[in-house]
Amino acid sequence: MKGETGTSTEVFRTVVQDILDDHAGESWPLIAVLQEIQHRIGYIPPEVVPLVADRLGIFPGEIQGVITFYSQLRDRPQGRTVIRACRGTACHVSGGTTVLKALQGELGISEGESTADRQYSLETVACVGACGLAPNVIVDDDVFGTMTPAKVRKLIEKDGEPS
Amino acid sequence: MSRVRVMLDGRESEGSPDMTILELARREGVEIPTLCEHRALSPYGSCRVCLVEEEKSGALVASCATAVAPDMVISTQSDRVRKHREMIVRMMLASHPSSCPVCDKGNRCELRRVAADLGIAAPRMDRVAQPTQVLDLNPFIERDMSKCILCGQCIRVCQELVVEGALSYRERGFDAHAATFSDGILGDSECTYCGACVSACPTGAMMEKKRVYSGSGDRTVETVCPYCGCACPIQVTVKGDRIVRVEPADPEQPLCVRGSYGLDFVHSPDRLRTPHIRCGDELVPVDWDEALAYAGENLTRIIESRGPDAAAVLGSSKGTNEENYLLQRFARGVLGTNNVDNGGRLYNAAVRVGLNETIGVPETTDRIGALADAEVIVVVGADLVNSAPQLAYAVRRAVKLGDAQLILIDPGRTRLGWMADMWLQPRFGTDGAFLAAVTHVICEENLVDQEFVARKTEGYQALCDAAAEWSPEWAEELSGIPARHIRQVARRYAGASQAAIIYGTGVTQQNRPGEGVKQLANLTMLTGNLWRTGGGLYAVQKESNGRGACEMGALPDFLPGYHRVDHRGMRRGYEETWGIEVSDAPGLSALEMMLAAERGEIGALYVVGENPLQNYPNPGKMRRALEEVDFLLVQDLFLSETAEMADVVLPAASFCEKDGTFINFEGQIRTLNRVLDPSEGSLTDWEIVLGLSEVMGSSLPFSSVGDIQAEVSDLLPEIGPLDTGRHARDMENGGPGAAARRWPASRGIARFSVPELTLPEPPPEEYPFTLVVSNTLWGQGGGGRTGRSKRLLEFAGDSFVEVCTEDAGRLGLEQGNRVRLVSPVGDITVRAALTDALPQGVLALPAHFRDAPATALFDVTLDRDTRTPMMKSCHVRMERRGSDEG
Repeated sequence: MKGETGTSTEVFRTVVQDILDDHAGESWPLIAVLQEIQHRIGYIPPEVVPLVADRLGIFPGEIQGVITFYSQLRDRPQGRTVIRACRGTACHVSGGTTVLKALQGELGISEGESTADRQYSLETVACVGACGLAPNVIVDDDVFGTMTPAKVRKLIEKDGEPS
Repeated sequence: MSRVRVMLDGRESEGSPDMTILELARREGVEIPTLCEHRALSPYGSCRVCLVEEEKSGALVASCATAVAPDMVISTQSDRVRKHREMIVRMMLASHPSSCPVCDKGNRCELRRVAADLGIAAPRMDRVAQPTQVLDLNPFIERDMSKCILCGQCIRVCQELVVEGALSYRERGFDAHAATFSDGILGDSECTYCGACVSACPTGAMMEKKRVYSGSGDRTVETVCPYCGCACPIQVTVKGDRIVRVEPADPEQPLCVRGSYGLDFVHSPDRLRTPHIRCGDELVPVDWDEALAYAGENLTRIIESRGPDAAAVLGSSKGTNEENYLLQRFARGVLGTNNVDNGGRLYNAAVRVGLNETIGVPETTDRIGALADAEVIVVVGADLVNSAPQLAYAVRRAVKLGDAQLILIDPGRTRLGWMADMWLQPRFGTDGAFLAAVTHVICEENLVDQEFVARKTEGYQALCDAAAEWSPEWAEELSGIPARHIRQVARRYAGASQAAIIYGTGVTQQNRPGEGVKQLANLTMLTGNLWRTGGGLYAVQKESNGRGACEMGALPDFLPGYHRVDHRGMRRGYEETWGIEVSDAPGLSALEMMLAAERGEIGALYVVGENPLQNYPNPGKMRRALEEVDFLLVQDLFLSETAEMADVVLPAASFCEKDGTFINFEGQIRTLNRVLDPSEGSLTDWEIVLGLSEVMGSSLPFSSVGDIQAEVSDLLPEIGPLDTGRHARDMENGGPGAAARRWPASRGIARFSVPELTLPEPPPEEYPFTLVVSNTLWGQGGGGRTGRSKRLLEFAGDSFVEVCTEDAGRLGLEQGNRVRLVSPVGDITVRAALTDALPQGVLALPAHFRDAPATALFDVTLDRDTRTPMMKSCHVRMERRGSDEG
């Protein structure tokens, strides 16, 4: 949530109307519009999709298809902290799967989900180029290498402390 | 168009640059397998089984999506092509369940056929399981995504053909699948269960649910859907004597839920199985000979004792052309009266009256396909999605895929609303003032097609003079539509090079409906749209043969082909052929028959496929009228409310149990073929009429439907022959001008008509609501047939009235509360359904509830021109009822 306060549908609608107004008259603005919505709201709430569809003359389902096609676009809110487990080959052979399972167990969510308190989102990533440190876990912009289930627990406990 | 020479499988061949390789191959008789290709959709190229090799470049290309180019050397069967095609099909099979032996798609499965043609029995790969069944709760469609091959046909027909957009792709790669917006059940989406996706699916992924139909069929017959005026061609698959499946016969004309899943009424246990004769209070079963003899005796007795005009015949716009022709000949020739009408009068008389006096073509002037050329489409008082789905699909295609602008004029929101460029809501009954103001703007701002008006019309000056009074500001006050919007509509409509108008019962069942139609005709003439493709004036017909029944002369004032009975020259040909004299006095129209009956003037009433007691206003009055009739003869599929009062009831065969033709609302002749034998004990309507004429001692010279058709085409060269796929008035060749020259007079020009404007009266204090009769997709007409379709009933059986949330709040009503609707004539009790699609003070009641007929609230006051009652709206009050009250 960047810049806006409140999460009601009304606020979303105003934001989306503004974005659509900015792009009025453009011929294929869908991706740009979706990116801006995500940038402003943090995700693309399904309830604003019909609004976009109506203005751009496409079906809501088609837009949902675009959102679910690109992993960059989200139709659910993300946690304040985004944890990504690497599923690259090097991480896989050095125990990435158990690390991912530990993360799932610790957070109580599957990949693609957020915790109920919106503190954490769990995602997977194909490779971050730090194969020498495999298996890797990325918390927001920081890479944590040579992870184990025990280190996962510590990582999350530490992150939970007020800093 | 330049020619393109290519080599196709070693032979020289010539195509054009707008042709795909697949199209060229098909024309040359070269077979290429396809799975994702659909005639009515744009090329897609997703399944890849149609790939061919361009030998010069060595490229493997999807033939369905590749245009032919000069000097291509194409091989459709090279080893390389076969190898790749096999691999593709193997991969499809690897992610497809091996449940073929129990799959209901059976030999209709195209994946199975393509695999068999390639000789592939097993994938020889590891199987990758796909997600399976989606638990859809509706009674029409079920989805099993494990059988999906991602050809996208269901998505594309939904988006490009039906233009509903209920289905789209979701996700990517292995997770990609066809889904609704919320990735949930169809019931939570925009889906209307039209069945287009089911008929397009090449595999068993989208299937009809089998609660009513079951098993693989043993034969398939093409015939015509019997419901709305679109009369779509259908393909009926039968197993034994049961219908197991209904699909569109033309892939470009998808059906709706009624056509796809609502035809099981023909198997209803309510079907009459034997003729009945009244004995005191009871109807006693008798055999056909006895029933016909008894009916014949009584008809003869009454016309002999009281004169032929004491008899009246009420036919149906659901009957075939041949049956309607025969019925009017029976009335005029055997009974000797012009008292013959068809039930279509209640919704289409205004079209005849309004267009007769103006453009001279008494029907819709153009074809559905022409809407693709329209730049502007104006829909006035018509809920197309529910009342004429095929027309709605065409409008949505023109707007969504073409460049057409949609202007919607309707007090309530219809399902076309989301794509309308302008949606104007005139106050109830003020469309007349609104249209008058549009006329004013067109005249005042000189948006007139002067050349057309000068060459092809008369009466322009009189209209202009009258229109000077109808300023947009005046109309704003009456209709509530801002004057600037009225100006905008006029400019957009008149400014388009082709602009079509579509109108429905919001015009034709209103107060003084003929005047509304005249106004629309004036607009198409002022702007010169009338004679342009894409500038048509479309009248929605409620019943499949609404147009045909009238063309065939089942009308009191017109002989077949709209030849006037009071015109000696027009009568003569018929009199010579029929060997009788036709009375020159126009007979009684449908409602006039009932009113005359109430006065005791009708001795014998012969009702064919109509149910006045349910479908005509003021049932109490109708009942009294029928009680006064000395001899009531009813012919129907079911023991309708009217049949229950009859002296003789004759069981008739349904649409799929006979041969014949319909003329749909746009004038297309459609052929009905006998799919099933007449249900036990029933006879077709035409056989019954012939039987009656025989027992009455004046046999009509026909022994087959073909005989009747031959006479029709002899007498009506402008209509006949009744061949399928022809236009009934040959618009293609003669143009509407040809019809105008012939009818109503031989002047060849259209005439402006100054409409008589009437304004609605404010609701009386004790009846503060305006009740509007509406349509849903789940019912048709009075519900006589749809109310006997198990699946439609299962989906939407409960009667309800739509109330806007503000009114509901004011009255303390909640969703589902029972309410009593009271008019000066009668009352009905239904449940309240809350909506935000209606303005305050307006209620909408669907017409098709058999337990709560809207007609019970209406009175019979006949319009002097159309001789029809107003059946679109009336004033009521609404009372809340306790849950335990009836």
